[in-house]
Amino acid sequence: MVGKDCVAIASDLRLGTQALGISSNFQRVPVSHFSRVCPSLTICQVFPITDRLYVGLPGLGTDVTTLYERFRYRVNMYTIKEEREIHPETFTHMVSSTLYEHRFGPYFIEPVVAGLSKLPTGGLKPFIAAMDLIGCINFAKDFVVAGTASSKLYGVAEGLWEPDLEPEDLFETISQTLLNAVDRDAFSGWGAVVHVITKDRVISRTLKARMD
Amino acid sequence: MASADGGAYSYSLTVFSPSGKLVQIEHALAAVSQGTTSLGIKASNGIVIATEKKSSSILIDDSMIEKVAVVCPNIGIVYSGMGPDFRVLIARARKSAQAYWRVYGEYPPTKVLTQEIATVMQEATQSGGVRPFGVSLLVAGYDIHRGPCLYQVDPSGSFWAWKASAIGKNMVNAKTFLEKRYNDDISLEDAIHTALLTLKEGFEGQMTEKTIEIGVVTVPTVEELTAGKEGGGTGRPRPTFRKLTEEEVKDYLAL
Amino acid sequence: MYRSSGFDFSNSIRNHSLAEKGLPLPKVTSTGTTIVGCVFKDGIILGADTRATEGPIVADKNCEKIHYISESIRCCGAGTAADTEFVTATISSNMDLHALSTGRKPRVVTAMTLLKQHLFRYQGHVGAALVLGGVDVTGPQLFTIHPHGSTDKLPYVTMGSGSLAAMAIFESSWQPNMTREQALQLVTTAISAGIFNDLGSGSNVDACIITATGTEMLRNFVKPNERVEKERKYTFRRGATAWKSESIRKLIVNEQVTPVAGEAMDVS
Repeated sequence: MVGKDCVAIASDLRLGTQALGISSNFQRVPVSHFSRVCPSLTICQVFPITDRLYVGLPGLGTDVTTLYERFRYRVNMYTIKEEREIHPETFTHMVSSTLYEHRFGPYFIEPVVAGLSKLPTGGLKPFIAAMDLIGCINFAKDFVVAGTASSKLYGVAEGLWEPDLEPEDLFETISQTLLNAVDRDAFSGWGAVVHVITKDRVISRTLKARMD
Repeated sequence: MASADGGAYSYSLTVFSPSGKLVQIEHALAAVSQGTTSLGIKASNGIVIATEKKSSSILIDDSMIEKVAVVCPNIGIVYSGMGPDFRVLIARARKSAQAYWRVYGEYPPTKVLTQEIATVMQEATQSGGVRPFGVSLLVAGYDIHRGPCLYQVDPSGSFWAWKASAIGKNMVNAKTFLEKRYNDDISLEDAIHTALLTLKEGFEGQMTEKTIEIGVVTVPTVEELTAGKEGGGTGRPRPTFRKLTEEEVKDYLAL
Repeated sequence: MYRSSGFDFSNSIRNHSLAEKGLPLPKVTSTGTTIVGCVFKDGIILGADTRATEGPIVADKNCEKIHYISESIRCCGAGTAADTEFVTATISSNMDLHALSTGRKPRVVTAMTLLKQHLFRYQGHVGAALVLGGVDVTGPQLFTIHPHGSTDKLPYVTMGSGSLAAMAIFESSWQPNMTREQALQLVTTAISAGIFNDLGSGSNVDACIITATGTEMLRNFVKPNERVEKERKYTFRRGATAWKSESIRKLIVNEQVTPVAGEAMDVS
C-alpha cells in the first residue's frame, strides 16, 4: 500500500499443503539482507532487496525459495556490475521478464514489490507493483494484492485505503486490511508480518492474529 | 622465424613474444592509426564526438558512409580503423542494448554497454581462428547514475573514461591540441567548435558537411528526466544522443 | 550476456503433475477489453478501455492497453495481458534495431509481419489479439492480428470481448474521410459502448491519434467511471492493531566524529 512518502508491505505466515498447516513461520518477505541468516524465529515471505525495496513472494513454497534465491543472485550481480543499488522499477522489470521466460511452464508465484524510488530531483517516491504468475505488471497508485486471499483483499483494501496516510496510519490500515481478509480465507493466516518503509527507517511488526 | 618486427610471434595471435607482447594486437593498433581521425570531448553539459569522413575516390557515394552510429537513445559510437569491423561491433552493441532493455525496461548505462563491447573485442584476442578487431572506439552516452560519459575502447579490449580523446591518424597531434584547449567547464557549443578545430589541424582537403560527422550527447534537465519517468506521451525517455544533420554541421563549419 | 528471447519449459512437467494432484495453474491477468482502430482523413485513431481482469475480479482499474511500437506506430492489445505486453515490447525492440540498420522510419506492415510470424509460431498459445495502427511512408495503415497469426486490413476494426459492442457503433456510424474530431468522437463512443455493455471492459477511454505530422497519446481521454470521494474517513485509531514484536531498521546512521588532538596519522 502507498502512503504519504512511505509504503507498506504485509503478508501472512502460514505454510500449508492445501488444508493442512505445516509451519507458521514461513516468511514471504525475509527479514535479512542478502545472504545474512535471519536471527528471528519468524520467517516471512517478504524479502528485502535493498534498504528501501521489498518483494513479497506469495505462492508455492518451493517456487518462493527458488525464485528468491534467483533474484538474490541477479540483484547481487547487478549491484556489482552496475556499481549501484537496483531501482524498484528496474527490479520489477527484472522479476517480470524472469517470470515471462517461463510463460509455458510458470512458477506459481505472484510477486508484490514495494519500495521507495529515487526521483531525478533527489527525492523519494512511493512505488508499488504486482505481477501475475507470468509477469504482467500492474503498476498501481494505491494498493496491490496477491495470493490465495487476493479476492478478499481487493474488497477490504478498496474500502479502507485512502491517500496520504502517515506511516503509523498506513500500518493500521494495511494490518486491518490483511487481518480481516485473511480471517475469511481458510488457507491464509496463522500470524502476519508488516513492513512499513519510510525514507529513514523500516518498521517491521509481527501482528497478533487468529491461529486457526 | 624471420621477419622485421615480431618474428615468428607476429603470426600467432595467442602466443606472447618473449618480451611479453601480443604482436597481433599491436598490429591491430597500427591498423587503427591508419584510419581517419576521430575525437570526443566531454563538456560540462554534454559530449561531442566527431570524425572525418574520407573516401578514397570521388566516385564513391559518400552519403552512404556512416561513421558515427546510434546504439540506443542514450549512447552513440564513433570509430577509427576498419569499417567492416566496426559494422559488426555496432550490430552487437545494438543487440546488447536491446537485450538489456527487454530485461530491465531501460537502456544500459554507458559503462555497462562499453564493457559489453570491450568483452567482445577482448574475446577476439584470445580465441582460435579469429583476429583482433581493427578498430578503436569512442563511446559517448548519458545515464542518470553517472551522467555523461566518454569511453575509449581499443582492439585489446581495454577501455578508459576520458575527458577528451582522439584516435586514428594524427591522434598524437590531436591529443596535444586537445590538452591545450581543454578545460573542465567548457560548454557543449565550445566543445563542438574545439572538435572541429582539432580535426582541421590534420585535415587534408576541404572540411564540409559531407566530410565531417558529429554526434552529441545532451544532458537532460530534471524536468525532462521526470517527464520520461512519469510516462508522459510515449513512456519513453527523450533520446539524449543524436547525430547532427548536415545542415547543422554546415552551420557549425560556417562559424 | 543477457538471455535472448526464448521460453524455458523446465517447469512444464512439474506443473502438469501438480495439476493432476489438484493444484491447478493460478489465473493469469487478462484484458477482457474493448480495443478499436479507425482510419480518418489524416491518419489513424486507436482506442482502448482500461480494465484488466483476473477471472471475475477487476485486477487493474486503469491499465494501459495502447502499446508503443515506434514513434508513429502503436498497438492495442487484448487477451492475456502478459502476452500483449511482451509481444509488443519484443516487436518494438526489433523495429528499433531494424530502423537503426536500415536508417529509415519503420513501416506498419513490417511490425504486422513480425507480429503475425511470432504469433503463428506459437500456434495461438501466445494469447494476444492486437489492433495495429500507424502512419508510414505509404500512408495510414490499420491492421488486426489474431492470436493464431491471421491478419486483416480494414478501415475500421475492433477486438476483444467488447468488440461486438464497439463494432455495432462503427457499422452504424463510420464514414469515409472523417475529420479528426468526428473520428475521435466515434472511437470514444465505440469504446464507451464496450465499457458500458461488456463486463470484461470498463473504466476509462484511452485514445491515440497518429498522423503524418505526429502522434498524440490521449491517456484517460474520457473518465466516465471516476470514483467519488469517500464521504467519511475510515482510518483506524493508532494502536488499534495488536502486534507482538517490532524491529526497526534505521536507514540513516548517525555518527559523531570527535576530532582527536595531536599529530595527524601518517598515511603516506
